[in-house]
Amino acid sequence: MFFWQRRPSVVVLAGLVVFHALLISLQVPQGAEKSVFERGIFFVYSPVQRLAAATVRGIGSLWHSYFDLRGVRRENQKLKRENFFLNQDIRFLEDRLGLAGSEAELRASLAGFEGTLVAARVIGVDSANPHQSIIIDKGSFDGVAKDMAVCDRTGALVGRTIAPVGLKETMVQLVTDKDSSVSVRSVVAGLTGAMTGRSTAVCELRYVLASLEGGEVGEELRTTGFDKIYPAGIRVGVIQSLEKDEASPIFRRIIVKPYFGFDRLDVVAVLTKGPGGGG
Amino acid sequence: MRETVLGDVVRAFLGTLLAVLVYSLAGAGGPALLVVFNAFSVVVLYFSVRRGEVFGAILGTMCGLAQDAFSLGVFGVAGLTKTLLGFWTGYISRRIDVVPFGRNALFLLVMAVLEMLLWVLLTAIIRLKAVNLQGGIIFVQPLVTAVLASTLFALERRFEARNSRGA
Repeated sequence: MFFWQRRPSVVVLAGLVVFHALLISLQVPQGAEKSVFERGIFFVYSPVQRLAAATVRGIGSLWHSYFDLRGVRRENQKLKRENFFLNQDIRFLEDRLGLAGSEAELRASLAGFEGTLVAARVIGVDSANPHQSIIIDKGSFDGVAKDMAVCDRTGALVGRTIAPVGLKETMVQLVTDKDSSVSVRSVVAGLTGAMTGRSTAVCELRYVLASLEGGEVGEELRTTGFDKIYPAGIRVGVIQSLEKDEASPIFRRIIVKPYFGFDRLDVVAVLTKGPGGGG
Repeated sequence: MRETVLGDVVRAFLGTLLAVLVYSLAGAGGPALLVVFNAFSVVVLYFSVRRGEVFGAILGTMCGLAQDAFSLGVFGVAGLTKTLLGFWTGYISRRIDVVPFGRNALFLLVMAVLEMLLWVLLTAIIRLKAVNLQGGIIFVQPLVTAVLASTLFALERRFEARNSRGA
């Protein structure tokens, strides 16, 4: 009697361990690129995630609809007032843009923004660390591709789309992920650097020389567009602290608090015509 | 042997669907929930005790790879740790008595802690970076996972006892 006939369970375990060892080893030459096998697993299970998210949302909306109806009149008046001020803002911005160039240039500029946003719902978060990635319910069927910027409902940067991009689901790498990097500049002092995540709620602004003056707590950071993924001018977050980096005397240690938060991350917008769109 | 393994693969796939569903529901409830308990581990622990080491290993592979697919971590690390979790949970539970609630909870806690340690170790070795421990909250994960899994067993026993009294 052979060994595998006497101890079939040990053979199954050994086979599975070798399979995983090969799977992990095969990723080395691939780098960040996802394998077909990994994408396949994502495609098979992500509809389940969509179903669960829709169920929870449905139950939640049923529960809230009664309370929503009670305050609908008051909310309607509030929205009308906000709409009025928003229209004023738009007119003001159009006037300012009109000063910058001819009408034809202005129209061309505004037309460039039409149809560039795809609204998506967040249907899942990273299974190992919520600060790494989320999954949205839009995919290649909706015009979403790899390396597109993703913003929250207030227009603040959330991250970028990465593989796997499914037909109706896409993974989004958050700016708080430790492998994420965004080129940003502070709006007042003009400190420019790469904002990288730490897989926690805060990020770090790197490569700002210690010899550079300026920058203060609360100062806003916006994207520069240098990375060719995120369009320039998107709000990212504010400086939380500035100090000397004891480990590296060349650079400053700047901690950044991103604007986006999980409490407002139910709906996001994918910018499909940014510099990284369609990559 | 072939029929048994094939049947186990199909059942393990259904078990993985259940795990993805539980994980998705927990994620919809709040991202913090995913840090304090691992839905995939709960499913692997529960079914490994019930169905033995071969099924546990296959289910562990499927659940682990599903967990890896929904994360930016190294693909295969959770697959490997959950395969070992499923196998050894099934193997040991066939050789010692893990029916009493206290012993069951302690056994599942030990297995969940070992799985967590192996995952942290493998991730640190493969990525050559320190693993983010979420300010230590991640170490609550094995405890909550073990409590949930042993609660499932307790509920199952209570349900069976009620049914047998009714019959």
